[in-house]
Amino acid sequence: MLTQAWKSFLRTRVGRSVFRVGLPSTNLERAQAAISSFFLHLQPAKVNRRVVEFRTTLGLGLISLYLFLILVGTGVLLMFYYVPATEHAYQNMKDLEFVVTAGQVLRNMHRWAAHMMVLFVALHLCRVFYTGAYKPPREFNWVVGVMLFLLTLALSFTGYLLPWDQLAYWAITVGTSIAGYAPLIGQKLKFLFLGGHVVGQSALIRFYVLHVIVLPLAAILFIAVHLWRVRKDGGLARPHEPQVTSENLSTAQLPLTKTYGLMELARGSTPAVGIDPEDEIFTWPNLAFRELLLFLATLAVLLILAICWNAPLEQIANPVHPPNPAKAPWYFLGLQELVAYSAFWGGVVVPGLLVTALVALPYADRKRQGIGVWFSRERKVALTIFTLCLVVAVVLTVIGTAFRGPNWSFQWPWKPVPVHETGTP
Amino acid sequence: MDPNLRKFYPWFAALSLLVGGLVLGAYCKDQFREWKDWQRKYLHDEMARAATAEQRADAARARIEIRQILLPELERVDRCTTCHVSVEDPSYAGLPQPLAYHPNHDRHPFSKFGCTICHQGQGSATTREAAHGRVEHWDRPMLEMNYIQSACGKCHLPTDVPDAPKLTRGHEVFVEAGCIGCHKLNGVGGVIGPELDKVGANRSPEWLLKHFKNPAAVTPGSAMPPIKASDADLEALTLYVLSFTGEPLSAYYVSMKTIPGPSAGRRLFEEKGCLGCHSVGGKGGAIGPSLDEVAKRHDPKWIFEHFKNPQAVSPGTVMPQFNFTEQETRALTEFLLSLADTNVVGFLKVPSAVGPIERGQAVFRKYGCLGCHGPDGQGGVPNPNAKTAQQVPGLKFVSEGYTKEELKKRILNGQREIPAMDPTKPAPPLYMPPWHDKITQGELNDLVEYLFGLMPKGEKLEF
Repeated sequence: MLTQAWKSFLRTRVGRSVFRVGLPSTNLERAQAAISSFFLHLQPAKVNRRVVEFRTTLGLGLISLYLFLILVGTGVLLMFYYVPATEHAYQNMKDLEFVVTAGQVLRNMHRWAAHMMVLFVALHLCRVFYTGAYKPPREFNWVVGVMLFLLTLALSFTGYLLPWDQLAYWAITVGTSIAGYAPLIGQKLKFLFLGGHVVGQSALIRFYVLHVIVLPLAAILFIAVHLWRVRKDGGLARPHEPQVTSENLSTAQLPLTKTYGLMELARGSTPAVGIDPEDEIFTWPNLAFRELLLFLATLAVLLILAICWNAPLEQIANPVHPPNPAKAPWYFLGLQELVAYSAFWGGVVVPGLLVTALVALPYADRKRQGIGVWFSRERKVALTIFTLCLVVAVVLTVIGTAFRGPNWSFQWPWKPVPVHETGTP
Repeated sequence: MDPNLRKFYPWFAALSLLVGGLVLGAYCKDQFREWKDWQRKYLHDEMARAATAEQRADAARARIEIRQILLPELERVDRCTTCHVSVEDPSYAGLPQPLAYHPNHDRHPFSKFGCTICHQGQGSATTREAAHGRVEHWDRPMLEMNYIQSACGKCHLPTDVPDAPKLTRGHEVFVEAGCIGCHKLNGVGGVIGPELDKVGANRSPEWLLKHFKNPAAVTPGSAMPPIKASDADLEALTLYVLSFTGEPLSAYYVSMKTIPGPSAGRRLFEEKGCLGCHSVGGKGGAIGPSLDEVAKRHDPKWIFEHFKNPQAVSPGTVMPQFNFTEQETRALTEFLLSLADTNVVGFLKVPSAVGPIERGQAVFRKYGCLGCHGPDGQGGVPNPNAKTAQQVPGLKFVSEGYTKEELKKRILNGQREIPAMDPTKPAPPLYMPPWHDKITQGELNDLVEYLFGLMPKGEKLEF
């Protein structure tokens, strides 16, 4: 019945004008479906069979994208309630919890999705490294990816301040003071972030504008470039792919007697070039359906988290009463742990070197072997170095998160040192 | 088409159902709110009690919704009436909470005061636990009823609230214990201990009580001597200290500081020197008539008008017009009306009969000197490792060691370094704070007179 109604709708002028192809039943229509739909055209009409295999990517990049979209959706809804003023922000959180319909679930989803996005973007970065997918011709897309990782951290960090509770206030105070350790420009930078020397109304409005306008727009732009480059660089990295030469796209090489569509000017290979037809499958429905499943799974996990666990909200921000210890958001606790040993090394040198190393990696690593293969035996040195850095980062983060008590002294997570009540209220 | 896709169909069905179920579940969880049950019960009760058709229509019209009192002047919103719907309906008197009546709120209307300025708790919350403030990350749970009088002290002077005897007693204990000697309150007091301006907002009653009994038990290393008072007095002190919350109060609430009642009237009566002309209980001047039992001679309205404009009600009188405010006039009237009560008269201070020694004694109390130097300067408060027998020195023989000028200098400048008995041990915790920017010249003169007067007659200190 429903199918009949749907089909007769597609036959009307309105239906045809909206969907053009309808539910595809032939290969031609499948190809047309992918090409003619705005939402599906991000992908080619046909993709390599490897693409739909879960172990190729573990779906990490896609999950990150889904989380970003969910964050945009929940974030816009939250913006209807949130006032970025120090005298209102905390009360807004209370209103979301106690008065707004589904307000708490909304905030929980936003909060947990933000944490998950940091995690999944980082995992995606690891996946791309361990499968050697940053190697030519995908060097620049790796750099775009690193930028997206930094943008994700910045988005999460700026959002962290907005509830204006003790957790937010002191995490941002600690986080921005790490930025203050940079030589020469450190203090200026900190002042620029905060609009003052301490976290206050100016900092709140700055973080808010960055969080809801500047950084999301930048992220959307970079995501668009990222996805575009995935296609233009020949789809997902795979072993034995036809070697792409970096062509010079100067007009001299193109016959001038012909008018070119943009597609024909794309450099390098598309997935279809030089590949046996049997390795290719149609995006619709093979890839699209799996992507839909992954979205449903992501949403389900997020909903479970949001229903079962409330986003933290401590006492209202109190600039004269710091918690002991005051901790940055978890993804910066590795840095804070380093800062505890040396402000200069932990706050400046190590993060600076890390970012530089990540950006330079595809250009420094000149080995062409091991593209599209997990833990290729031909990349032992690179794998060892990266894994070591990763383990150190994880260990430092875990220590900073779970093993640090008052005055940043060591403690076992199951035996927390009680914070002594001081005489000063 | 990839035949592998078929194996995902059950996945698709399961995940779709799961997501749909979760969204529905989240919505239902959100829709179930305990306050709705209370409002339903209230409306049900209202319907049952309705006698007339009009009342029934009212009950039927009422909606189940969040009820709140917006109090921008107190920087809060109180949603307590979302559950406690019937607080203003006297017919609910004596019924169990939350659907009960709140008696005695005529002078503190809910629309102006809300609930949490007195009861504390979390006004914006709409669940029982959170609203009563007994949850993590909420510092101000509801005040237990035995401490509720402390709320009066947030706006009113502790001496002025007629229905808050515990608050008044707590204030007396506070003065007697000399807390101000070490702690600053509203800008007045010593600097040895922490400021007390917001201590009531940051400390629980249990903590305060323990602290007064044995300061070092809750604050290791505290130099504060335990306060020696009965349990009832310590509870009163706790109650009084709980009123130091530093909450934002707009001008309206601040203007209520002085309640225009007998005690405020008595303060004015003493300050303005009424006894210069009038006498009460045989004390005072003889220019004006005696004010004993003045209430029997004149009605309240006459007294009130007399204060406003003496000539208008008593032409030719020599009593000057003092330009009292409305509040002051009311307070003085209340005081005069209470004069028939001889208990009040007994406490009256006659300015001319008060000499520098009595005034000095008041100064000694006012600045909390007795907190460390003991009542009447007897000493005995421990100060570990101080050369003076590990105690704060008594002041009885102070006239032996100082001239008046030297003593004044010592009070004004204080003494930060107290000589230690054993230099290897930590320095004595208590020291003499400087008072130069706090005490007035007149007060200092009186205080020194008082201290010199402490010397027991006929005794000589033997060295």
